[in-house]
Amino acid sequence: MPMPGQFFMVGLPGRLDPLLKRPFGLFRHEDGLLSFMYRVRGKGTLIMSGLVPGDTVEILGPLGNHYPLPEGKYRIRKPLLVAGGTGVASLLPLLRELKKNSIFVYGGRNRDELLCIDEVRGLAGEFIAATQDGSEGVRGTAVDVVTDLIRGRDKDGFLLYACGPAGMLKSLQGLGLQGYCAMEENMACGTGVCLGCAVKTSTGYKRACTEGPVFDINEVVFERF
Amino acid sequence: MSGSELNLSVNIGQKLPLKNPVMTASGTCGYGAEVARFYEPARLGALVLKGISLTPWPGNPCPRITETACGMINSIGLQNVGLKAFIKEKLPVAKALGSPIIANILGGSAGEYVKIARALEEAGVDGIELNVSCPNVKKGGIAFGLDLKSFTKLIKAVRKDISGPAIIVKLSPGAQPIEAFARAAQEEGADAVSLINTVPAMAIDADSRRPLIRNIVGGLSGPAIKPIALWLVYKTSKAVTIPVIGIGGIRTGRDAIEFILAGASAVQVGTASFVDPAAPVRVLEGIEGYMREKGIKDISALVGGLVTGCS
Ligand SMILES: Cc1cc2nc3c(=O)[nH]c(=O)nc-3n(C[C@H](O)[C@H](O)[C@H](O)COP(=O)(O)OP(=O)(O)OC[C@H]3O[C@@H](n4cnc5c(N)ncnc54)[C@H](O)[C@@H]3O)c2cc1C
Ligand SMILES: Cc1cc2nc3c(=O)[nH]c(=O)nc-3n(C[C@H](O)[C@H](O)[C@H](O)COP(=O)(O)O)c2cc1C
Ligand code: FES
Repeated sequence: MPMPGQFFMVGLPGRLDPLLKRPFGLFRHEDGLLSFMYRVRGKGTLIMSGLVPGDTVEILGPLGNHYPLPEGKYRIRKPLLVAGGTGVASLLPLLRELKKNSIFVYGGRNRDELLCIDEVRGLAGEFIAATQDGSEGVRGTAVDVVTDLIRGRDKDGFLLYACGPAGMLKSLQGLGLQGYCAMEENMACGTGVCLGCAVKTSTGYKRACTEGPVFDINEVVFERF
Repeated sequence: MSGSELNLSVNIGQKLPLKNPVMTASGTCGYGAEVARFYEPARLGALVLKGISLTPWPGNPCPRITETACGMINSIGLQNVGLKAFIKEKLPVAKALGSPIIANILGGSAGEYVKIARALEEAGVDGIELNVSCPNVKKGGIAFGLDLKSFTKLIKAVRKDISGPAIIVKLSPGAQPIEAFARAAQEEGADAVSLINTVPAMAIDADSRRPLIRNIVGGLSGPAIKPIALWLVYKTSKAVTIPVIGIGGIRTGRDAIEFILAGASAVQVGTASFVDPAAPVRVLEGIEGYMREKGIKDISALVGGLVTGCS
């Protein structure tokens, strides 16, 4: 059974260009049907968006680790889920497990970017949206919302689960909460052999596809900035 | 003809008989154990493991890889666990997989290569591939692969000390002229040459004006380099009598056959394993299928079988 946070490599069969499979978090798994939610970013996702029912894709997975549920000493903490853009694809499966025992902060540029907002709103115990243009929820970023949310409250009361742009994750790390983040790195193999997906951590490089994609957010060294 | 009636065996020198000509390419099958969940490693001629150095190397910052038309550029920077951990933790597991094991090594000096090779001979590997062609590390490696004098000295030094494992020298596509490097390897007693390593290359994002690889330059691999690799294998095999191992963009049995016709005795499958983890086995099955279809019983009948001139 695939777990929230795990991903699949998805490829277009019989093509040399694009050559490599692309990683996508599993968005839904129901009645033997796997669903992915993706944003068109480049060549591969553009071709994927033109597929019609009956077309074939190749998949490899489930791969990687998953979000640890709030268990043991973390049981009493409130799960705080923070999604930026398509990061929601990775966090929605977790939200479906946690349901009302959660706070969900969802940020994006504008209302159109906040996909699946109704499902998220319906499931979460507490829901706050943030858009840069104010077209949905509060005006600002997801990080602004979280900063306000925890102000004056005990940080140990929360357990962070974050997925989104690296800039957002880095800012969240600065808030000093305990928790996890899912990292996106370019991947060639998805199975641990190419070493292309290295994420720098306080204990050295780790493979996002194998030791990740979910990391302890306080362990990650954000390199691209 | 069933698969067992076909003879696919090849010899890498006197020392390394392989039951078939298909190996993994270094850096694309980890330390061997990683591929065992996708196919039985013992089916392959040999496993060539990730390159190792004397001390552990952390590797380069990301992005380390980017895709380009029909290929990819990588600059991993030879991230590896280092000789000691390799021998203690990785090699015993790899050896238990049942396939001959070829270690791929890289040093900053000839002395370092010798030190690593000696330790590996003692630990028991079937072959040692000298990586003198990695474009992604600053010191050593390719410095030997592009300069004939230090290249020759290096192989002489390693050969003098190593008698057990087969020695394979992995050539860079930038070695000029490639025939001279292959001949030098043969004269200094190498058991085989393998080629090609990745082709130095870069990719740029016109919007951000930034290189798509953090290191700016990396190595191109995959189908995009196959025609270059074929040409270099063809030239090299004409220059030497030791076996030539063909590498570069091989995805199918037919790709492998093309290299064998150009003069390769064996092949390695690299980037294709990222697309399909079982690619090396599919290449092997493809070779068998081709031989059956053409009624060829012994693979050696195909080596260098390129037909040229008027038909
Ligand atoms: C574990 C994981 C889970 C992901 N889940 C989702 C998801 O659920 N929904 C979603 O929309 N996106 C997801 N992504 C990102 C998605 O993989 C990329 O958007 C996709 O690979 C882009 O492919 P392309 O051919 O369209 O773009 P390209 O033209 O190849 O590149 C466009 C951009 O995508 C990035 N990219 C390219 N190749 C890769 C790659 N192999 N891995 C990661 N990034 C890459 C590049 O850096 C570039 O900025 C995930 C990535 C990872 C690592
Ligand atoms: C991600 C990656 C890592 C590699 N690491 C090594 C290495 O450690 N040592 C080495 O000799 N070659 C290394 N190579 C080169 C391959 O072994 C091979 O020579 C090259 O990729 C061309 O073959 P291909 O087109 O089938 O991939 C690496 C290639 C890739 C793509
Ligand atoms: S994608 Fe190849 S090691 Fe992670």
